[in-house]
Amino acid sequence: MSSTSATTTDARPAHEEGHGHADRNARVHPLRFLARAEAALADPVLQIAIERTTGTAERKRADAVEGFPQFDKARVLGKRIKDHVIANLDHYLLAFERNAIASGAKVHWASTAGEASRIVIGLCRDAGAKRVTRSKSMLGEEIGLPHALDEAGIDRVETDLAEHIVQLGGDTPSHIIWPSMHRTREQVSAMFHASHRVPHGEETIEAMVDSARRELRDKFFSSDVAISGANFLIADTGSTCTVTNEGNAELTTSPPRVHIVTAGIEKLVPSASHAMAMLRLLVRSATGGDITQYTTLHRGPRQPGDRDGPEEFHIVLVDNGRTRMLKEGLKEMLRCIRCGACMNHCVVFRQIGGHAYGGVYPGPMGAVLTPVFDGLGAARDLPHACTLNGRCREVCPVDIPLPTLMRGWRDRSWREGLEPPAARIGIGLFAFAASRPRIFHLGTALALRVMRLFRKNGLIQRMPLLGAWTRHRDFPAPAERSFLAMYRDAQSGKTTPGSSR
Amino acid sequence: MSAREDILAAVRGALGRLSVDADQVKEEADRLLDDLPAARPALDGMVPIDIFAARVSSPKVAASLDRIGDLAELPTAVERYLQSKGLPRNVALQPAAELQALDWHGIALHDAPEVDECVGVGIARAGIAETGSLVFESGPETPVLAHFLPLHHIVLVRAHSIVMYLDDYAAAALNPESPPHRNVNLITGASGTTDIEGSLVLGAHGPCHLHVVILFDGKRSVTPQAWL
Repeated sequence: MSSTSATTTDARPAHEEGHGHADRNARVHPLRFLARAEAALADPVLQIAIERTTGTAERKRADAVEGFPQFDKARVLGKRIKDHVIANLDHYLLAFERNAIASGAKVHWASTAGEASRIVIGLCRDAGAKRVTRSKSMLGEEIGLPHALDEAGIDRVETDLAEHIVQLGGDTPSHIIWPSMHRTREQVSAMFHASHRVPHGEETIEAMVDSARRELRDKFFSSDVAISGANFLIADTGSTCTVTNEGNAELTTSPPRVHIVTAGIEKLVPSASHAMAMLRLLVRSATGGDITQYTTLHRGPRQPGDRDGPEEFHIVLVDNGRTRMLKEGLKEMLRCIRCGACMNHCVVFRQIGGHAYGGVYPGPMGAVLTPVFDGLGAARDLPHACTLNGRCREVCPVDIPLPTLMRGWRDRSWREGLEPPAARIGIGLFAFAASRPRIFHLGTALALRVMRLFRKNGLIQRMPLLGAWTRHRDFPAPAERSFLAMYRDAQSGKTTPGSSR
Repeated sequence: MSAREDILAAVRGALGRLSVDADQVKEEADRLLDDLPAARPALDGMVPIDIFAARVSSPKVAASLDRIGDLAELPTAVERYLQSKGLPRNVALQPAAELQALDWHGIALHDAPEVDECVGVGIARAGIAETGSLVFESGPETPVLAHFLPLHHIVLVRAHSIVMYLDDYAAAALNPESPPHRNVNLITGASGTTDIEGSLVLGAHGPCHLHVVILFDGKRSVTPQAWL
């Protein structure tokens, strides 16, 4: 094992390390979430782009689940497999390490995002790498790898079509399955014309895909190191498993002399059979397919007689907050298989898109994970950007109680005094009144009268203190009398509730 | 302490124990698989090859399909495909001895595919009926790039090598005792992408067309354990 070592137990949030995270920190600024959400809401092109992709994803997932009547049973099994792994995580980590080393792989461990990045950069330097090809991996984004490679002066070639678009646009992924979903075809076309050696002629999506194929073809073969992620780490054989559709992953990982896999420690499964059970859930939930075009297992480096494949195969196992999640009440989140169903079905995500969240992982799963990586102080707004309608949990293939976990962060934010003064004062006032019935009744009676003044056809279109709401939609006018008043009357036999009109 | 020791200690600390009984963990993991048959698509009462053939030619996989009764007919089947698509008689042939031993009727052959290879011909180790997948196990006769560089990929699969479920293949060929291949590729249809506005386009970086030739050579369909 060529394990590198960290000298301290680092319990600080990853961003405090300051390695390869400058960009992302700037985006997860607490005061900017509302501004980013406002900007997204006001961008009609973005609204179309979001609705097209998430709408299609929602329909396709519904069809896939309908065509698989055993989905509910598969979901229960998937949840149990992940829970079993998490309850025995130390055992599976060691088993995976032992078997991977036996296959000729080199296994590295990283406690933090910065450490993981440094290990990868170190391996690239050892290999004398001038050019690195990368196959999309959200863990790579999480540890800030694109930025770290750029800073190290290594030519980074993103080979996944969406990541290629993200790289050309100089921004970041806005969805974990469709990273460039914030771009329209017109924008993609302009970028390809500006940067491809032989850009497309015809203005069709087919021609654009072809243009990217031409542009990247020779780069697969001039790369020194390939970097990819893993959907599953298979403990009993030490294999890694990746699911993709474009074929870029295998073209990326086969030619270079060195292949590096980075993976979170929660990706373990006991065996390939268990991985297949998870695969049925993952693909249906992510894209609505029954299986991706390519499901590839890697086990060690090139063997005698092989005509292709890397001579060195490295696996970097990354903690980056996961053991803290296990300890601090977020262990259910370690079941997550990164399918993206929660965001495709989230009413908030479908309004504001991925970039507004500011973290690597957007939507409900991001609202739970980003506070782990970037600290609750910086990401406090995210668990609040949720209506608690429960849709994310319903569609989650491993039944993660996302709304409960988000409520947990809200609770903690309150306890740690991170809520802004206006909210604290408002809730303080409410708590004061709610525990004093006379004041409460007086207050509601007064409020009803005031609100009636602004009523128009049963709706309130504008009212002091309601601006944040009424700017985007009308507020329903309250009933003539409060529930408690009607209830009191009903109890004393004067009239029945509802007959007061 | 190293990151490795830190991580293991943090896991054990969070789980509130120092060690586990490996046999007990194994037993628990195996027991989970008892529930697998109820948690996969119901295909009972059907024959794997029928499901596979229907699946491969369905819109979900969208491959074209041909059938032959003898391995020696493969060159003719390849010729048929080349003609139907108007392709040159020049193919990258996977360096598998049994394919190279065939009489190719003057079709030009080379065994290392070019970066922009037009047509590749290969042989799959197995097929999976549930998903219509072809399985390739890397080795001297099965380089990985042979399945990814050609624009048109023609694949022979033997009818009796087709198993019903993904996990049938996994249990038979991906366990700790099975031969360790560097790569195992499950290939289901041509490459594709939905990365631009969610529109499906085939031929992203890998093949644009997948043509499956099923060989019915009279051998009986057997359990996966038996063909290994």
